[in-house]
Amino acid sequence: MLSRVAENLYWIGRYVERAENVARLLEVAYHLELDAAELREESPDASPLADALSVLACRDAFQQRAGAVLEREQVLEFLTIEPVEGHSIRVMLGRARDNARASREALSADAWDQLNSLFLEMRTSRARLRLQQSPLRFLEWVKRGCALFGGLVDATLPRAEAYHFLQLGRHLERANQIGRILQFGLPRLPALEALDPGTLSAMHWSNLLKSCSAHEAYLQHAHDQIDPVGVIGFLILDEGFPRSIRFCIDRCVESVESIEDDGSPQASDARRLLGRLSSELRYLDQRDLLQRGLQPYLVGLLVTCHRIGDAVHLAYFQTT
Amino acid sequence: MIEGTDRNLLIQIEEGLWPVDRRGGPGKPHSGGLRLELESIRSSLFEGYTRRGFDEMFDEADRPRPHYARLYDRLVAMGGEELSRRHRLSDLILRHQGITFTVYGRDQGVERIIPFDPIPRLVTASEWEKIERGLKQRLRALNAFVHDVYHDRKILRDRVIPPDLVLGASGYRRECLGVRVAHDIYIHICGIDLIRDETGEYLVLEDNGRTPSGVSYVLKNRQVMKQVFPVLFETYAIRPVDDYPADLLATLRFAAPPSCGDDPCVAVLTPGLYNSAYFEHGYLARRMGVELVEGRDLFFDRGQIFMRTTRGPRRVDVLYRRIDDDYLDPLVFRPDSQLGVPGLFAAYRGRQLGLANAIGTGVADDKAIYPYVPAMIRYYLGEEPILRNVETFRPLIPSERAYILAHLEQLVVKAVDASGGYGMLIGPVSTRTQREEFARRIEANPRGYIAQPTICLSQHPTLIDDRIEGRHVDLRPFVLCGREIKVLPGGLTRVALPRGSLVVNSSQGGGTKDTWVLAELQDELRESGGG
Repeated sequence: MLSRVAENLYWIGRYVERAENVARLLEVAYHLELDAAELREESPDASPLADALSVLACRDAFQQRAGAVLEREQVLEFLTIEPVEGHSIRVMLGRARDNARASREALSADAWDQLNSLFLEMRTSRARLRLQQSPLRFLEWVKRGCALFGGLVDATLPRAEAYHFLQLGRHLERANQIGRILQFGLPRLPALEALDPGTLSAMHWSNLLKSCSAHEAYLQHAHDQIDPVGVIGFLILDEGFPRSIRFCIDRCVESVESIEDDGSPQASDARRLLGRLSSELRYLDQRDLLQRGLQPYLVGLLVTCHRIGDAVHLAYFQTT
Repeated sequence: MIEGTDRNLLIQIEEGLWPVDRRGGPGKPHSGGLRLELESIRSSLFEGYTRRGFDEMFDEADRPRPHYARLYDRLVAMGGEELSRRHRLSDLILRHQGITFTVYGRDQGVERIIPFDPIPRLVTASEWEKIERGLKQRLRALNAFVHDVYHDRKILRDRVIPPDLVLGASGYRRECLGVRVAHDIYIHICGIDLIRDETGEYLVLEDNGRTPSGVSYVLKNRQVMKQVFPVLFETYAIRPVDDYPADLLATLRFAAPPSCGDDPCVAVLTPGLYNSAYFEHGYLARRMGVELVEGRDLFFDRGQIFMRTTRGPRRVDVLYRRIDDDYLDPLVFRPDSQLGVPGLFAAYRGRQLGLANAIGTGVADDKAIYPYVPAMIRYYLGEEPILRNVETFRPLIPSERAYILAHLEQLVVKAVDASGGYGMLIGPVSTRTQREEFARRIEANPRGYIAQPTICLSQHPTLIDDRIEGRHVDLRPFVLCGREIKVLPGGLTRVALPRGSLVVNSSQGGGTKDTWVLAELQDELRESGGG
């Protein structure tokens, strides 16, 4: 496959995943804003939507554009339908679509059609109206649109290089996002001890899970009330949950192995780094995480993800 | 403009709002009573329809021509509102599939869909048979001419065509002298524009032997028509167009240099996303199952061209290049080109790379050479041209120049090295200032212009809102020259959408139509009294 096309596909995977994550983060934050009365009593300057800006590393960008005051509607617009700034869902989908337009012959017609329609719809006045009338419905629509794209990719692309580059981008991005959600969310959470349901800290922890669409899956897994250490372990180390870091890294390993399946004995740096991270995640357990300190561990993990991204570029996109 | 249309429309139409036709299928004659009924409805759909020039659908007595009769009945039965609903749906499909072209000028890089008109244009089997023979003949002569120009130059030495016209043509490439190409084929893909004069005769308006575009619209238009107007397809036996990508691939593989193996690697070379025909480049690559490459994906190494892939370099044997000659290789042509590949010409010259079309074919589709194509046909093939040219006046000949200057108001003046409807003077609709300007330009540079009588192009019923009006059309069939010469049945019918306009170019507000070449059977049916 052409390096340029492979790179486009990788970025389509990343941008669509990022758009979906923004939608999910905002959804959770918005729910929380609506429940804010109780929240405000305990910590008066808590603003879940502002937290979303921080997780996405664009709080400064927002304040430069809109000023220091965080109006709920403005934050929502900034992260959803804002046409020029680099952080909105619309911009992400636009970039994904530009990449797709430049490599349409590698995508299936169905997958392209979905991405193109989603982006075009995003630019309409109807999309703005939908956002204004019900932000939650709007975000749900984005999530579904992105999921449909993923589903069409799954259902219509042969398991060849094109597919694997899409998956590589998608899962690397997802691992990154989960890492950032955890890294940002942890310091604000009260101590890591067992919680009574209904308390504010229990709400924090379930929101953390919801930000990763993991709430129900975790409850099924844990059969229990929410235990902070268990939550962290679940989101980092679970083997079978599609939004755990381990799951994502394992998928990246699979993609890279398929991409490099050419009989050459020498593995690329990308493959080595991924393989190493994957086995580390496999043999770690929750106690090791606590022992190492969660924050330092998460920082290290994010650094590794960035190094993997660089290595992917060197291995496949700058081959000559 | 489609953004306001709901996807629901798509669903509604697909879920069986088809008007049920109870009048029987193709071939069954309609009762006289029904015809009367239809005639009364006609008033609304065709209200105010007037014939100008040759009308494709109606004869001089305003009756539908025999092969159009069934289409006419179907349209009338469907009615204007239903037609325009489906028209909106077809726009929606085109937009959602990203079938767009990029408009230059005003807003840089705006994506538009080419307006698609849902009333198909019909060509009978016997008309097509003649067109097809004429096109094949013409392409054989053009290929012989390009070969001759870059090798023996017999046609110049025999004074059939003035040498300075050829050597001074903007498409002439001195670098190609003596360069051999596979099977001596230079123009592998040719789009030859046809128009019909007032008598209905098909005339050749121009040849496009460099990188003609539009074929993807032919293929897409057909797909859209099948989705939106399946009923119409039951009415006619239409020759399919879907073989084109396979034929194109065979043609390209045939252009491979002798140095490569049995399985040449073909790729489509595009200038990139911002080219107006980018959709087409990607579409054809996908339909052929080959890579779509840009200049930056390729590099030259030890006499050959390679593409950069995720698994390292891979040799390329044939490029279907959609980049103009000038931009192909900065080492040989324009040094500022960012689109090309340094070394590409060396690989081509060294017979390590096949190019379709070859470099330097612009010499054959130059508008100043065009008047000599009939002479070329006689010279190389010893045959009489099957399709006539449009009468053309050349300012280089003093008597013709005088005629042109005296009759600017009745003529169309074209710059020989412009295309896409740019650089034209249309006499009857021009202002005095424009005419004076062109007169000055012609006198200063007689080599640079030709003039033709303003021909009233044939017109075709076209959906304008929810009524049908006549609009002028041309036809661009596509001809492939590989092991054999093949003509895609039909081609791109372009329609000038503004009322009375004679300019069909998409860059100037033109739209397209699906073009149906009727299978032989259809003519027989018609003769046995079907319509």
